[in-house]
Amino acid sequence: MDKLYIFLKYFFIVVWTVFVVAPFLWALTTSFKDFQSVNGGVTYIPWVDFEPNLEGWKVLIKSPAKGGVDIIEPYFNSMFVTCTASLISIILGTLSAYALSRYTFKAGFVKNNDITFFFISQRIMPPIVLSIPFFLFLSSINLLDSLTGLIVVYIVLLMPIAVWIMVDFFNKVPREIDETALIDGCNPYQAFLKVVLPNSIPGLIVAGMFCIIFGWIDFFFAFILTFTEVQLLPVKIVALNSSVTPWWSLSASALVSVAPLIIVAFIVERYLSKGNLSGAIK
Amino acid sequence: MAKINLSEVSHSYNPNDPNPVFALNPFSMTWENGNRYAILGPSGCGKTTMLNIVSGLVRPSAGRILFDNKDVTDFKTEDRNIAQVFQFPVIYNTMTVYENLAFPLKCRDFSKSKIDERVNSVAETLNLKSFLNSPARKLTADQKQLISLGRGLVREDVAAVLMDEPLTVIDPDLKFRLRRNLKEINEQYKTTLVYVTHDQNEAMTFADNIIVMSDGEVVQTGSPKELFERPNTTFVGYFIGSPAMNLFDSEASSNDSVKINNTLIKTHTNLSNLKTKNIKLGIRSEFIKIAQNQNENLVDVNVEKVEDLGNYKLITAKMGNFTIKSKVTRETEIPNQSVKLHIPAEKCCVYEDNKLI
Repeated sequence: MDKLYIFLKYFFIVVWTVFVVAPFLWALTTSFKDFQSVNGGVTYIPWVDFEPNLEGWKVLIKSPAKGGVDIIEPYFNSMFVTCTASLISIILGTLSAYALSRYTFKAGFVKNNDITFFFISQRIMPPIVLSIPFFLFLSSINLLDSLTGLIVVYIVLLMPIAVWIMVDFFNKVPREIDETALIDGCNPYQAFLKVVLPNSIPGLIVAGMFCIIFGWIDFFFAFILTFTEVQLLPVKIVALNSSVTPWWSLSASALVSVAPLIIVAFIVERYLSKGNLSGAIK
Repeated sequence: MAKINLSEVSHSYNPNDPNPVFALNPFSMTWENGNRYAILGPSGCGKTTMLNIVSGLVRPSAGRILFDNKDVTDFKTEDRNIAQVFQFPVIYNTMTVYENLAFPLKCRDFSKSKIDERVNSVAETLNLKSFLNSPARKLTADQKQLISLGRGLVREDVAAVLMDEPLTVIDPDLKFRLRRNLKEINEQYKTTLVYVTHDQNEAMTFADNIIVMSDGEVVQTGSPKELFERPNTTFVGYFIGSPAMNLFDSEASSNDSVKINNTLIKTHTNLSNLKTKNIKLGIRSEFIKIAQNQNENLVDVNVEKVEDLGNYKLITAKMGNFTIKSKVTRETEIPNQSVKLHIPAEKCCVYEDNKLI
């Protein structure tokens, strides 16, 4: 029984690993191939099946004038927009989540839970519903095709995630902590900043991670709301495609665009597995 | 340190309802500076609400709270300079033990040297000295509770330290030592301590004044001796003491005696002004002994069982329909069947409508 269990366990782990890692390996080898090695039959092993070259990678950093596509600027644009929007969403989202978790609001039949649901409901709508309103809105304030405009839109998309995660998290932080801080002489703001917030770092990290992921991978709004001035990475990568699909540079850019998320995932996993989530009570 | 005055305080959690349910019925009370108080009552009787009203976490629906004759009803918690310890330890997870203990002083802008001195002295009292620099979350549950307690004691000028069943998570041996520690702290610093508990032993050994509550009502306030010997109501008689007070339905037969199952029992209570027939006689099992050579207040009972509880024997006997319990010394010889018990008149309490006459 035990042996069977261990066998099945490792079997599934191996299958799952192959399932997850294979596309990356595929992208990695493809990024070093040339036209011949991609289109001339199946090849796997560098130097044996095909001669690796760096053409696919070089294209990404060459300026368009020299026949490259230059993804460096879109890369930093993406990073800037994602990080700024995530940061603002986390700050605003955390504040509203704390209020929703600790204070009672009532406006007619609308209560705390309804407000929380209102935030989440923003993500239930298919994004396409929002595309025309956003377009008109940004064009009316002259922010189409600008980083600021994108940041504004991304905050709208990311804040619900932050609120949702943090409300849940604050609800699990015992109220006695706030009360004790008040008794110890903090005012409510100090209680929040000095006591509740430091206790909520794991929640902040999870919320931040989700914001960064959803901000980073968004293609739809970046595609609709920008044209020539500003380009984000996902849009640029899609634009790489032409009559002859450049599999090598597409693979390279895909790897480059996934890299930051992998790094984020590793850091978060390290932090969360340290067990810093355990409670302050008991 | 302050004298705390609760004047006509009451609280309801749904005050706007046409028929509000009161968690705390109107009451007035004074807590003298430097005394030890215990609030005793079954779960859900309003003990915690009372504490939260004093600390300012709950604003009472009616009534005033005075600290040293200064009205603090509208003061926020952080301005009342009060300490509260909850049932489960609350610690600041992200700080060290030292930072935890120093936090109340830091919030109030004490000088560094003063903080150092107070933290060290409190840590000494609570045996936390060797942990001062470890992260607070690494400690065991009872050590964490000591930290909560320490945060309450670290301010010398604190108006009162309120404790809401603080020793629940602590093991019995340490419990005993901590209670003694608390007493010492109270004697040394003259800090007013208020201790909420549902455990009568804890209340009796800790406090010099006990407030007994039931159903949002303060039923009796007094020293452990008063509560034990002269319970105000049958509830207090029943709730305090182990076993509970013996209570018998009876009828008045003269100005100072009652009849139980046709046995006349003399009391020291004047029964001439009775208004109802709902009369009960209460007597502690500690005062009931096997009759030696007394010739009145004797009852004939049939012994049902005798339990040897180590330091005393507990006799459970039948007197007609009534069960009577008597606590006697271990050495007492107890006849197998029928026996005469003596009920001392001066220890009898007579209750009319469950209230002491």
